[in-house]
Amino acid sequence: MTFHPRERGSARPGLGRRDFLRASLLTTISAGSLGSLLAACGGDGSSNRPRASAVQLSRPDNPVKLPIYQDIPAIASGLEPEKGTLRVLNYSEYNGPDVLKAFGKKYGVNVQVTTFVTMDEGGQKLRTPGAKFDVFYPTTDVVGKLAVGRLLQPLNKSYLPNVSNVWDQFLDPFYDKGAQYTVPHTLYTTGVLYRADRVKSVPANGYDLLWDEAFKGKIYVLDDDREALGMAMLRKGITDINTEDPAVVDAARRDLEELIGGVNIKIGSTQYSTVPEGTATIHQAWSGDAVNAQYYLPEGTGPEVLGWWYPTDRRGAIGNDMLAVPTAAEHPVLAHHFINYMLDPDNSVPDFEYTGYQPPLKALNPDSMLADEYVTENLVGAVITPEDFDKGLQLLQLTPKGEALWDDAWAKFRSGA
Amino acid sequence: MASRRLWPALAAPGVAWLLLLFLVPFYAIAAVAFGGTDPLFNAPLPEWNPLHWQFGTMSEVISRATTGDLRPVFVRTFFYVAAAMALCYLIGYPVAYYVARLAGRRRGLLLALILAPWWINYLMRMLAWVNLLQDDGYVNDALLRLHLIPNPVHWLSGNQYSVVLGLAYGYVPFFIVPLYVTLDRIDGRLLEASRDLGHGMVRTFLHVTLPLSRQGLLTAVVITALPMFGDYYTNNMLSGSPTTTMVGNEIEFYLLGSSQKEVGAALVLVLSGLMLALMAYYLVSTHRASRQVS
Repeated sequence: MTFHPRERGSARPGLGRRDFLRASLLTTISAGSLGSLLAACGGDGSSNRPRASAVQLSRPDNPVKLPIYQDIPAIASGLEPEKGTLRVLNYSEYNGPDVLKAFGKKYGVNVQVTTFVTMDEGGQKLRTPGAKFDVFYPTTDVVGKLAVGRLLQPLNKSYLPNVSNVWDQFLDPFYDKGAQYTVPHTLYTTGVLYRADRVKSVPANGYDLLWDEAFKGKIYVLDDDREALGMAMLRKGITDINTEDPAVVDAARRDLEELIGGVNIKIGSTQYSTVPEGTATIHQAWSGDAVNAQYYLPEGTGPEVLGWWYPTDRRGAIGNDMLAVPTAAEHPVLAHHFINYMLDPDNSVPDFEYTGYQPPLKALNPDSMLADEYVTENLVGAVITPEDFDKGLQLLQLTPKGEALWDDAWAKFRSGA
Repeated sequence: MASRRLWPALAAPGVAWLLLLFLVPFYAIAAVAFGGTDPLFNAPLPEWNPLHWQFGTMSEVISRATTGDLRPVFVRTFFYVAAAMALCYLIGYPVAYYVARLAGRRRGLLLALILAPWWINYLMRMLAWVNLLQDDGYVNDALLRLHLIPNPVHWLSGNQYSVVLGLAYGYVPFFIVPLYVTLDRIDGRLLEASRDLGHGMVRTFLHVTLPLSRQGLLTAVVITALPMFGDYYTNNMLSGSPTTTMVGNEIEFYLLGSSQKEVGAALVLVLSGLMLALMAYYLVSTHRASRQVS
């Protein structure tokens, strides 16, 4: 399962909220696709899992045009936005509260945010029968499932003139050819956040920092199977970080296991505070953490103690999330207006100031972000450019069998055997 | 006639509680562990009919737990819980004994003080420990100043002693309270009789008090050991290292961090099976003990 920067392991909810409504899922899938879905359900022999994915897996070199269903049309053009309450389903603290308030004021509506901690939980809430959310924030690895599962409605671009503000790649992304269902929300790269006052020199292959025994006991990997194992692959020059080859995944696990004895590795998810506070010296982290870390520094400590490493050839892990309108939205026109509002730099830049995660807007670039003091000189590498998005490597949806392979490798690493 | 129906009826709330909050959720976990996965969202499809249960995942998990990568996790969990129980015993027994037999009028106050930490959220108490145990925290400061250690101890870097300490700290009041109740009920005249018959303090304790408190001790062990076996948060907070991973941590990962919820559910069942064995031993022993008394 791919994780998202907003998923902070330590804050994951208890099991009480997990429901078992999944059985109703099949009823939401069209009768036509049911046969092929059930065919994909054939057992693996050993475990109770299906082997193949019911959704075509999108890759940059294998872009996917998501299906459009006759009975789920986009809304008509030229409608007035509805009144009432806009229901947003989002990660917690992933929109600036002032930005939401301003939108509500402008349209004379209430904005009600329901939060989730993991994308998995978000999907469950979206699938709950009777759920009527107007806006959802999917990631690239789930958007295909949501569209095929008839949970999203196509967007009517006539309401979204501000789409012209986003990078061109997002007008036709590989995970949603033609951007039929989605517009981008934010971007993030995965690199290494470290204390520059303690780490005197960064090796050419910065991932090696995590293997540096000089910082034993102060080194962390992200609590995230795909990110951690993917990082071990990237360190060895393997760029197919969506591989389902057991030998490659196993080798990555063994590389991570070296860290147990070598540097007494820890698994963490609060890098945005543990690095500035000094508990961690080296932490695998997301670019948004590097931007946020400066606000967690103890008094009297300047941002110069922080350092960020991402591959100099920019061939590292990158991800993005999106804005979409669920099929069951009761205020779809208002939802389109909200999405358009969030694509306006006047609103999305204040939103970025709050979350630390950069929207892919033409108005934001390393120079402007440095000039406006969103980042300091030493952290400017955490700013993402359109070229980074082309060069970067995304952690994408795997087949159920592939997911099990990565999960089990991670569980084995975590077992500390 | 009416009373014959009345008394069993009084058990109804308890029975309803057990059914709703234990048996139904437990059955749901079994339905996930033995059910399938939907091919679209990779979400579990619980199988409610036992005739259609698939045992593939369960047999995989059992083989991983007995001979595979999860074996060290189970062994480690067992040792951590045993060590934490021993600590609870060493700390809890004297405290319970003192409060029950020697505290006199202050016993109410002492009991309140023992339970006082419960007024603070568990998370906050664990965060407080994280602060105390940091490399430059007060614990290391104190130990360094007393020249008990030459260098700061890395308490939070996958230190198994910290995890055991955390477990014992978290659950020791659960250990003290049932023990206190049992010790309090021991008839003082039995102890006097033991003294009159020539036993000293130590032998009175070993031959009278300890056997009579056995039942309370077992209750205390069961009440504290069961949540310790499933605990994952103490470990997350105080260690975070793969070297101290407990079964609860693997369950947390499979249920919340992976797409294989069925593996998490199967792990829950395996752990429950182990704890059921512990409970069975408890029930048999208390039954035997109550027969001995009568």
